Amino acid sequence: MPAGVFKETYLQQMAHLRYPIHVYSAIAALALLAALPFMAGPFIANKLAFYMVYLVAAIGLNITTGLAGQISLAHAALMGAGAYTAAWLTLHGINILAAIPAGALMAAAVGTLLSLPSFRLKGYYLAMASIAAQEILFYTYQRWVASDQYMPVNDDAKVLLGLELGEGKLLYYTTLALTLIAVWTAANIGRSSIGRAMKAVRDNDISAEIVGINVTRTKALAFAIGSFYAGLAGGLLALHLTAIDYDNFTLEQSIDFLAMVLVGGAGRIIWGSLLGLAAIMASQSMLEMVFEGNPMYKYLVLGAAIAYFVVKEPEGLIAVLRRVKEYFRLWPYSY
Amino acid sequence: MGELGQLVSYIVAGSIMGVVYAALALGFNIVYRVSKSINFAHPALVLLSATVAYIAAVRAGLGLAAGTLAALAVGFAVSAATERLVARPLRGRPPIALIAATLGVYYVLKGVSMFVAGGSIPQASLLRSEFSLRAGPVTLSASDIAAIAAGAGIVAIVVALHRLTRLGVAMRAVAEDPYGAAAYGLPVKLLTMLSWGLAGAAGGLAAIAVALKANLSPILEVYVIKALAASLLAGLDTVAGIIVGGLVLGVTEQLVRFLEPYLRFGVIDFTGIHEAAAYMIMLLVLLVKPYGLFGTERIERV
Repeated sequence: MPAGVFKETYLQQMAHLRYPIHVYSAIAALALLAALPFMAGPFIANKLAFYMVYLVAAIGLNITTGLAGQISLAHAALMGAGAYTAAWLTLHGINILAAIPAGALMAAAVGTLLSLPSFRLKGYYLAMASIAAQEILFYTYQRWVASDQYMPVNDDAKVLLGLELGEGKLLYYTTLALTLIAVWTAANIGRSSIGRAMKAVRDNDISAEIVGINVTRTKALAFAIGSFYAGLAGGLLALHLTAIDYDNFTLEQSIDFLAMVLVGGAGRIIWGSLLGLAAIMASQSMLEMVFEGNPMYKYLVLGAAIAYFVVKEPEGLIAVLRRVKEYFRLWPYSY
Repeated sequence: MGELGQLVSYIVAGSIMGVVYAALALGFNIVYRVSKSINFAHPALVLLSATVAYIAAVRAGLGLAAGTLAALAVGFAVSAATERLVARPLRGRPPIALIAATLGVYYVLKGVSMFVAGGSIPQASLLRSEFSLRAGPVTLSASDIAAIAAGAGIVAIVVALHRLTRLGVAMRAVAEDPYGAAAYGLPVKLLTMLSWGLAGAAGGLAAIAVALKANLSPILEVYVIKALAASLLAGLDTVAGIIVGGLVLGVTEQLVRFLEPYLRFGVIDFTGIHEAAAYMIMLLVLLVKPYGLFGTERIERV
């Protein structure tokens, strides 16, 4: 607690912006994000917007896995459900802004279906069920949904009031707006009764049941919300790309999502996902630049990072960051 | 060749693949028995063993026997090292930790396999031989026979080791009840590591079998992920039951493939659906009987 700040109500204690510095940094961050396309080039802005898409997906998995403790390796396939639904709707003349939520809802429906095994299974059994689901969905995309590898997205559907949403600065701002809404909602889910019920189920499902939490419903909700976010990310992907390629939705992409959540910090929905995404996406981009797209180094570096973090830093980069902050706060003393 | 002949040849092919699946799935089961968790690094371990075997047998020209020995050694060493460096520090942590950590190891081993092969994994066969057996509609190539030998051999070796040797009995004791084993003075840590090493060696020999049957390729590990279905079907803590699981999986795949032309519902055709059959079996087993046919049910009591 900084000096001169004290809380009088519970609402103040639980607020997102608790201290003056939070307010200032939030304003500064929003201003920076809003001004970015005018400061940086279109390449950087587009890259950033593309990362935001994956941030939304990572937040979704962080709700399912980090908050509710339900392991899912089918996240990329769920993202595909959203992307293909949105793309298919645009081909049938629906505006992209309506197609994105529709895709998200579709993914949520599929995800809820996938949560059926979670009522009976725990841990690695659930992981295997989600691997099977991921592969079956991927097979469906390969064979029936996009049998020639790509499903085109209708560009004429990306127009609102004569403005092209699918390119340039507007693409960035559309993605930013949707991402901010998603992030704000997720932050609120984490501190709501649903979020607390999820944490209880994660920490000890039997105790949660005894306290009166409906475990089945909570698990289903965790999958539904997480999948909704995956579908939202898929819809945003349809906004970004001219065609949806099923190679975006492989089992490896699912593993990458899980890696983002675990390296960043499972259970810390926003900051954990953000740090994990930054670490993994940035390192992947760098490795691609240096080694000209040979995935070999991606496997080596990413795999070592995952194993290291799970063994040595189970709380992820969040804990590292906390230690760094603490070091500077206490400097020059060690405790 | 009539339809019946075709069906017979499909079933034979499925049975051969089933033996290979059983060998591939064995590694999962040995690890599960001792660590109560799935080792998701196993698919990449098989890929690495197969790559090393290919380099020893074909590129260095030492022949299949040397390749097999190399695969066994690599499988054993890498798996034991995985236990020492990743699984042991995670004892007592929730299952998600070991799942995620072994997925990390999966990536690393995949990268190492590519590195060893010089950048990317080649498409290549391990055995070039014109020898074949014919009986009616069925043809067995030299690779098939070698694959059956390797697959059945590794299951037999592991079962014999577990049943007949003192070391195997000690391993089983540690898997069954680590505290009791420790009270009898058994070196629990060492035996756990050896069990993982045995699983890795089984993976190494299974890698030879699968590389003989399906050739070395970048997607070799898909067969191992499919073999998880055999593991589940048999039950994760059985060793001998794995043969049944593997055979059911292999034959089912081929039966589905045989039925594909007849499965047409209007516009939807099911060509190639046998590729997804393994995952359907997995989901079905998990929903209906998660502990498998021969596995012990674990009942949680509060």
